[in-house]
Amino acid sequence: MRTDSRIESSSSQIDEAEVSRQWTSRLRRSLAGKLPPEKLLPDTQPAYVASWIYVFGVLTLAALAMVAISGAILALEGPDWWHNSPEGLFVNSMHLWSVELFFFFMVIHLWGKFFMSAWRGRRGLTWVTGVLAFLLSIGAAFTGYLSQQNLDSQWISTQAKDAMNSTGIGAVFNVLNFGQMFMWHILLLPLLVVIVVAIHVLLVRYRGVVPPVGSVPRSEEHKPWKGRVRPYDIVKEASIAFTIVAILTLLFSAVFSSPDDPAVTLKQWAQVDPVDFVQTAQTELAGTSESATYGPPYNNQSGYVQSLGPISLQRFAGVSYPINSAQDYVLGPLETFKPGNPALASALSTFESASKAQQASWVAAFGKADAHLTVSNGQLIYPKGQYGPVPALMSNLLVMARSGGLDNALESHSGFYGTDYTKPLLFLADGGYFASIGQKYHLLGNEWGMTNETGNFPGQAWLWLYTFWYQIPPMATSGNGDVLVMSIMALLTLAFVVFPYIPGLRRIPEKVPVYRAIWRRYYREEES
Amino acid sequence: MLEIFGFLLGALVNLKGTAHYFEWGVIQISYANLVVIIIMVVIFILALAIPFPQHRARRSNEN
Repeated sequence: MRTDSRIESSSSQIDEAEVSRQWTSRLRRSLAGKLPPEKLLPDTQPAYVASWIYVFGVLTLAALAMVAISGAILALEGPDWWHNSPEGLFVNSMHLWSVELFFFFMVIHLWGKFFMSAWRGRRGLTWVTGVLAFLLSIGAAFTGYLSQQNLDSQWISTQAKDAMNSTGIGAVFNVLNFGQMFMWHILLLPLLVVIVVAIHVLLVRYRGVVPPVGSVPRSEEHKPWKGRVRPYDIVKEASIAFTIVAILTLLFSAVFSSPDDPAVTLKQWAQVDPVDFVQTAQTELAGTSESATYGPPYNNQSGYVQSLGPISLQRFAGVSYPINSAQDYVLGPLETFKPGNPALASALSTFESASKAQQASWVAAFGKADAHLTVSNGQLIYPKGQYGPVPALMSNLLVMARSGGLDNALESHSGFYGTDYTKPLLFLADGGYFASIGQKYHLLGNEWGMTNETGNFPGQAWLWLYTFWYQIPPMATSGNGDVLVMSIMALLTLAFVVFPYIPGLRRIPEKVPVYRAIWRRYYREEES
Repeated sequence: MLEIFGFLLGALVNLKGTAHYFEWGVIQISYANLVVIIIMVVIFILALAIPFPQHRARRSNEN
């Protein structure tokens, strides 16, 4: 009782001025002033907001919610579930189709806002956050494709690595590392998308919907609308939008399902095309494969190092995923296969105790016999020659790969991200077998492969401009093609983001009469 | 139960067959992507053309 009295007494003695000066009080007053409840959840809106084009913003948000729900279920259940169970595949289909709907609605929303020149009246930041949400969503979708753990994700990652590496980004953003991509896809990028979308929506509520072109003087376009308003039930609109998106997602998932071609394994490669496997292994041992000669981030060679003029960000970023092809793909795995295999132990000992020149001579001689290699009943058959222990090494590596042992040896389960396919995927991409599968599915770079899905499913059509640059000179033929494309896209992306602030360009939509169709009722009523 | 549900909701239309592509010079696009883009353009045009339901307007509260 005495304590209560003391509290009441001290409460009455609070210095109101001091409380008013607190950071918390100031923030609350600022938020309440800028975004009062009637602005956050309005029940009316300007009468000129009378076009179907306005519904695509809320449809995009509804699709984003569906993407998040289906994605959360997939993340909780894991790859085995979405690959191997009917219900898992169905939820996987829901995720795919909700992503397609998300981009579908977002692009139409973006077209509409462009033709409205919706950045007028100090609404530039609303455009900027909208475009950032679009770009982050592309990143989220891209890492999602990489996280599927199927043929599509393998192919996209081996193709995309060159663009990432050419800019130095690949040194920290390893598209071949499933664990890292999965983390980006389910946590970091969705978090950024949601934050940016939230800021975008709050800016729309704070600034209001842009008025029709010419409806008010340009200097007053930022002021609250003083004209006629109409009833607007924002909660009802959002509920209807979510219902429509849910129905479409379920319908498309049921009717079309989703692609899920199994991942290619080294075991499969060694069984289906053993000669190509051995030929590739020989280039790894000789140090002449793409991986062996690549350069950063895998080693200090220069075979695939790209530069923009005198600047090579790839070289600058350095080696972050060291690959020693002979050791990592041949000698190292065979060491684990040696116990109980004295012939292999002897071959390894002979090879490793020989001089570098002798090793190179044996491997080169075996390389010259490449075209005459055959495999019969799992046995490597080769013409006579001075190969030293190399045929024994290759034969044992083939046996190891055909048993699945090489897949296990090369997959990394160490490190923070747990599952890293960098080594097996680079090995796979060095051979001809994997490329032949990509060609079969029309996924090659000169076939706009990055935008394609396997089968007749829609793919990443939103990457059309990025893929386009690879088709024309000099990018199509230059050894620096990736860094050139990435540089062009960086400049175009920057222009896209800051479009409202570029004099001249920002007025272009006002010269195209599409906005008159959007606000035709307003203009008609004004004229009458 | 879930397996039956999954089976019933398996693909009714098989999109896993051989893909087809539209080619024009350096432009190559799968018909699936092309169809999506065409539908997108058509819906954009329809969104501009179809009249929006009329509501009774009133003067702004802020007046």
